[in-house]
Amino acid sequence: MILRQATFAMGTRFELVLAGEDGVRLRAAGEAALEEIEEQDRLLSLFHRSSLLARINRTAHATPVRLDADTFELFATALAVERDAGGAFDVTVAWRMRKEGFHPGSQLGPPPRAGAPRGRIALDPAARTVSFTTPGVAVDLGGIAKGHALDLAARALRAAGIRTALLHGGTSAAVAIGAPPGAPGWRVALPGRGAPVVVLRDAALSVSAARGRTRSDGAGHVLDPRTGGFAPTDLTTAVHAPSARLADAWSTALLAGARPATLDPAATAALGRAGAWTVAGASPVAFVLPPPREPALAISISCPPPTAGPS
Amino acid sequence: MPTTDRRTFLKHATRALGTLALVPDLSLAAPRFARGAKLDVALIGAGRQGRAILGELAKLEPASIVAVSDIVESRLSSGLRRVQGAEGFADYREMLERKKPAAVFVATPSHLHVEPCLAALAAGAHVYCEGPLATTVADCQAIAQAARTAGRKFQTGMQGRSNPIYQLARGFLRSGAIRDVVSLRAQFHKKTSWRMTASDPADEAALNWRLDPAVSTGLLGEQGTHQFDVVHWFLDAYPTSVRGAASIQLHADGRTLADTVACELLFPGERRLRYEATLANSFDGTYELFHGTMGAIKLAWTAGWLFKEADAPTQGWEVYANRQQFANEQGITLIADATQLAAQGRLKEGVGLPEPPLYYAIADFLAAVLEDRPVPCPAEEGKRAAVVGILAEQAVRTGETIPLDPALFLANE
Repeated sequence: MILRQATFAMGTRFELVLAGEDGVRLRAAGEAALEEIEEQDRLLSLFHRSSLLARINRTAHATPVRLDADTFELFATALAVERDAGGAFDVTVAWRMRKEGFHPGSQLGPPPRAGAPRGRIALDPAARTVSFTTPGVAVDLGGIAKGHALDLAARALRAAGIRTALLHGGTSAAVAIGAPPGAPGWRVALPGRGAPVVVLRDAALSVSAARGRTRSDGAGHVLDPRTGGFAPTDLTTAVHAPSARLADAWSTALLAGARPATLDPAATAALGRAGAWTVAGASPVAFVLPPPREPALAISISCPPPTAGPS
Repeated sequence: MPTTDRRTFLKHATRALGTLALVPDLSLAAPRFARGAKLDVALIGAGRQGRAILGELAKLEPASIVAVSDIVESRLSSGLRRVQGAEGFADYREMLERKKPAAVFVATPSHLHVEPCLAALAAGAHVYCEGPLATTVADCQAIAQAARTAGRKFQTGMQGRSNPIYQLARGFLRSGAIRDVVSLRAQFHKKTSWRMTASDPADEAALNWRLDPAVSTGLLGEQGTHQFDVVHWFLDAYPTSVRGAASIQLHADGRTLADTVACELLFPGERRLRYEATLANSFDGTYELFHGTMGAIKLAWTAGWLFKEADAPTQGWEVYANRQQFANEQGITLIADATQLAAQGRLKEGVGLPEPPLYYAIADFLAAVLEDRPVPCPAEEGKRAAVVGILAEQAVRTGETIPLDPALFLANE
């Protein structure tokens, strides 16, 4: 049987599609995964005053904040992608985004001082803490948190013995566990005419586009941290990666203009047209898609038709 | 109905406001704990609530988490992922013997609180026990008795009493902001099966203790207890009888324990608390609502509002107020540090709590131990709330009206 469950978190709708024989156990497993997503929303929200992220933004310039292993790994991944993407991915752009008119009401802590050098995130693996080198640093995990939540939800499903599932967050990031019976994987169609259909199996996919949320002057919501310019609103990037965390971060980085040195020059030249390449490191596969004819961002996910059985 | 001198309560309310103004945003300038204060703590029971405790303890500088114990290996390893440097134990008795923690957090299933609580107290540790305190009257009494004689701090995990918004609201209520309380309503709504699963189905029976009517006190014990305690604390009164009904509305999956309950608790002064809880619907979540002759106070754990009657007098602090519209009603947002934030022109940033409610309960416990202060919810008070939950569950299962003997609420002799 197929069971679908959903929750609202991180400003979007997360959905799970689970396949199995025992509906009661499927529901319980799905609820554990949804609770994991809700927990990550409570921890990583930039808008909840009581989130761990709000606390980090308030206090990490003055004292290191102790992290659990998963959140530490999230920060470490964010910094690794920043390095590998040549600075085109940066979770410390929160104050710059606020100054550009995005995210009013976000919990950013003390503002940067005029003329002060740019602060950085510092991670201490031995103490498992995060700190900021100066006041005025504020973290926004919007480019990676959804993927992180999906990875942890998938882990909860696997721990509950689930072998076949597809999870997505707002149809812009997805994780596949196993494959539907008789199929090589879950079929996920990327947006845009002629865009590829990705067959996902024990892997993740994320798409990014800047046209989903725009300012009144048309500027998109994805900033190139290196230049301060905004990503073009007619591009969509998609990344196929071993984890949703990486896929989410890399799809944002590519949209902001990341051109990793390890890319095939022909693939780099393909930016703005349909293309695909492999990014070094965790080996994600990325696509830059042609401008869509319709302003759709969402990937579309096909799953097997529901079969009769107890729900 | 207990009456209180208005001047006394105004004084208390003013003091509460003064304290609350120090809570958020000033933690850097004015730490709650003396510099260098340290306390070795340990956790017994690393399920979801236990892991939440570890997450909040990590924020509190004096807490050094030295050990975590759980009989289930997967839960233990999940717990250990939350903290750096803690040692894991399958057997909490061995943990108490070897690590000798100064304070212990007990977050085992509710029906298994009594043994670790007694063992930790006997080992000389201060104890924070999750609510409900226990699932039988006898266990509640045993814990309360042990806590009384141990000479150690014992706090029941009733978070409302430590919640700055609730403390502020209680000050308002008891200083007459809504005048006389005439009726009460509270609910817990969450769409979930309450069922747990494991990779090995053989482990699931023990995991699903909340669905086992032999050991579980159901929605009224597990959830209602926390909300009943808020009412006890606000009214300084305990119910005299309870009646209600229970049914399975959504989760007909072989369980016998209800997924939907409703009950009515009668308080002195003919005031009734109508309480309902369901696992079949999530609308409006969890809240407590106090109706008074001059307004209403609604509390939803991370937020609270005051709704005034048209003829209620205007008070000076209302100039600072932040308001929210709910259909035809306008609520004044209860902001714990309103005076300070208003002075900084940042009042709207104060909506909600700067930390989750659990944080404040744990911070209070650490402060009680380190600075020899009273705990906000001692074992006796935890016992009273748990007993109300136990008897309310009994009432909805049997369909009978159950009188609550005042002797149940007396302190252990």
